[in-house]
Amino acid sequence: MPPTPADSEHRVPPAAAAQTAPSRRSVLMAGAAGAVVVPALSACGGGGSSGAGSGRLRVGVAGGSAEDTLDAHKPTDNTDIARAHNLYAGLCYFETDYSIQMALAESIEPNEDATVWTIRLKPGLTFHDGSPVTADSVVFTLRRVTDPEILGIGAPQLATMDRDNIERVDDRTVRVPFAEPYVTLLDLLAEYSMGIVPEDYDPDNPVGAGPFRLVEFTPGQRSLFERFPGFWQEGHPRIEELEIINFPDETARVNALLGGQVDAISQLPPSQIEVVRANPNIETLESESGMWTPFTMRVDKAPFDDVRVRQAFRLIVDRRQMVDQALAGYGSVGNDIYGRFDPAYVEDELPDQRERDIAEAKRLLAEAGHGDGLEVQLVTGPITPGAVAAAQVFKEQARAAGVTVNLKQTNSTEYYGENYLQWTFAQDFWATRNYLSQAAQGSLPDAPFNETHWADEEWVEIVNEARRTVDEEERNRLIRRAMEIEHERGGYIIWGFVNTLDAFHRKVKGLEPSVTGHPLTSYGFHRVRIEE
Amino acid sequence: MSRLILYRLGYGLLTLFVVSLVVFLATQALPGDAARAILGRDATAERVALLRDQLNLDDPLAVQYGKWLAGLFTLDLGDSFANARPVSEYLGPRVTASFVLMGLAALIATPVSLLIGAYSALRRDRAADHATSAVSLVLAALPEFAVGILLILLLSTGWLHLLPPVFAGSAGAVLADPAQLILPVLTLVLAVSPPIIRMMRASMIEVLESEYVQQARLKGLPERVVVWRHAAPNAIGPVAQVIAVQLGWLAGGVVAIEFLFAFPGIGLALMDAITTRDIPVIQAVTLLIAVVYIVVNLLADVVGLAANPKVRVSAR
Repeated sequence: MPPTPADSEHRVPPAAAAQTAPSRRSVLMAGAAGAVVVPALSACGGGGSSGAGSGRLRVGVAGGSAEDTLDAHKPTDNTDIARAHNLYAGLCYFETDYSIQMALAESIEPNEDATVWTIRLKPGLTFHDGSPVTADSVVFTLRRVTDPEILGIGAPQLATMDRDNIERVDDRTVRVPFAEPYVTLLDLLAEYSMGIVPEDYDPDNPVGAGPFRLVEFTPGQRSLFERFPGFWQEGHPRIEELEIINFPDETARVNALLGGQVDAISQLPPSQIEVVRANPNIETLESESGMWTPFTMRVDKAPFDDVRVRQAFRLIVDRRQMVDQALAGYGSVGNDIYGRFDPAYVEDELPDQRERDIAEAKRLLAEAGHGDGLEVQLVTGPITPGAVAAAQVFKEQARAAGVTVNLKQTNSTEYYGENYLQWTFAQDFWATRNYLSQAAQGSLPDAPFNETHWADEEWVEIVNEARRTVDEEERNRLIRRAMEIEHERGGYIIWGFVNTLDAFHRKVKGLEPSVTGHPLTSYGFHRVRIEE
Repeated sequence: MSRLILYRLGYGLLTLFVVSLVVFLATQALPGDAARAILGRDATAERVALLRDQLNLDDPLAVQYGKWLAGLFTLDLGDSFANARPVSEYLGPRVTASFVLMGLAALIATPVSLLIGAYSALRRDRAADHATSAVSLVLAALPEFAVGILLILLLSTGWLHLLPPVFAGSAGAVLADPAQLILPVLTLVLAVSPPIIRMMRASMIEVLESEYVQQARLKGLPERVVVWRHAAPNAIGPVAQVIAVQLGWLAGGVVAIEFLFAFPGIGLALMDAITTRDIPVIQAVTLLIAVVYIVVNLLADVVGLAANPKVRVSAR
């Protein structure tokens, strides 16, 4: 999976409980509910008070290639991300319910207008090599991420950081100034690509403060880690060793689990779920997530420059059928709004769920001058699981409204080649993210991936205001207004959200559903214990 | 005979040159720009331009080819686009791993198929012969990955749980856990054996009916000596060509098998390189497979010549 940069924002959304209520297949899941609000912080001290781990956990992760890296700030594919989660620790992190919790930081607080943030570290932290985690490490890390020579994944979101004037206040305190108000800094700092590293950091011999220390690494094949006893979370990790093995092919990955060569695998293909369930030793883990795979309509190009056409296309989609067929039922219906785990996402205050309405779609199309039918080309390709299937389902569903959809098949390389962001009608995929972070990535006029060419003036103004608003309630009100505008006239058809599926041997305990969209509880192997 | 061998060697080198040209042009024709493929969704115009420059992608084709060919002579295969390491260093352990796999398959498949073929010939038209014919025909008709999937279902994940279904480890240590090698090796053996068995059977039947074997029998030599001293060695000559073709096939067939079993050899490296448009690696692996193919065929020619007294003498 390509990059999943910045993500999201504070606290459990009040709506999260309702929104992520048990999915329809929750029976087969280890812990049942789609997003259990896990008291991980309080639980971590308990249990084996000695903290001593036992055994080796072997994990088969999708993807991996010769391009694999250990660089803390440039993880790209799945196995990079899995390693980054375990090798490094950031200042804060996303809990399984997408709330942000402090990790290495004791507190991260903005000044009144969010132009200066003060980061205070927890006392007594160390890196894998025994050296202390200090304010200097934080300063070094922030500068490294934005170093033009290195350009970490987080760099675009730190563009307004005044990197020359980051101030080391004392050994545990750093003050970070920004050129303009920046309210979503925590979203960025919680990202897996923002691990804190020491000043003498060398990616070839990586030292971090994550739960595991590197022992061995072969790109595209496997990596081995050992437990780091100085991890900030008391009592974790609970296993002695962690082995991450790459299995780009899904059949090989499932076979490795069934054959007992690995204890857990990420991203179980829905087609294999019956096979896996037939084995009494294997458990599956299904997590609702904020990952979405939209159709993208360019709002500046015919026929989609007419808002009625966009609305008609959104009314054409039978969302339930789309989820059932393109995602084999492992997902939930979307309402053309992203950021479903954003604290601002309060269902009562948002537009009603959009349903299929062919009569209304036809009426809108006729009004837009397409009464005799409309022919469009939809660009698709295997860019993410279910994408091609979704395109095919849409082609069928559109027929009823007199719309002929011609599919243009591409491969991933072609899709993300020269014409990416230029396709008139295409698809894409996005990870879980809060609204403002997502807007900065994909919807604002200066966003790097604005595939719909969305530049609605009213919307841009509201979002920019929200980005400057420190008061949370006021900000959430603005975000909801922005969501309404996109729901009404945006360029996305957000028909559904994808559930992630993983599988593991039942001796593996501690993995739980997580809405972050990263498999295996965000690769949280420090939580895992093995019960033989 | 040495002149003949020299002639074949020259011919092999010429073939290799043509192959290198084809490989080079084919990799250039791959859809999608290498720089874009490497950068993926993060490809901004500046980054693409910078990377194209670093990779010398803007040189004329002939210049790129010339540089590559010159590198081949010094065994400098360039640097991998994907991880910036020298290709030879990156491929080294994978080549060894694949050769272990192919070597084991060849070492097992060749004598076993020869024995089975010979045995079938001796038991001509009896039950064992018919069974062998039927099984080898079926195996020959099945694609190798289908055989592999069946073996996995049969021995690993479905019916019996005897063997590890995939390889989980690094190319550097393929022998560390030999159990993991059994299924891929077995699949390759089953894939290459049928034609050898059938050819050996045919050749052996022909030899057994020849005059000198009748002569040997008439001399009252024990049947064991007649078969294994007089008949078998003479039957092997014509089979050598088939063996060569099959072993040459191994070099290419290993790609699908490695993918199926997640075996970290050149096949998997090739698949990986194709996805990431890692052209130096694609070129190196395809050329390596071609070299193996050509060398094996050359050896077969030599064995064929050596086994055929008529050619051996006339070519002197």
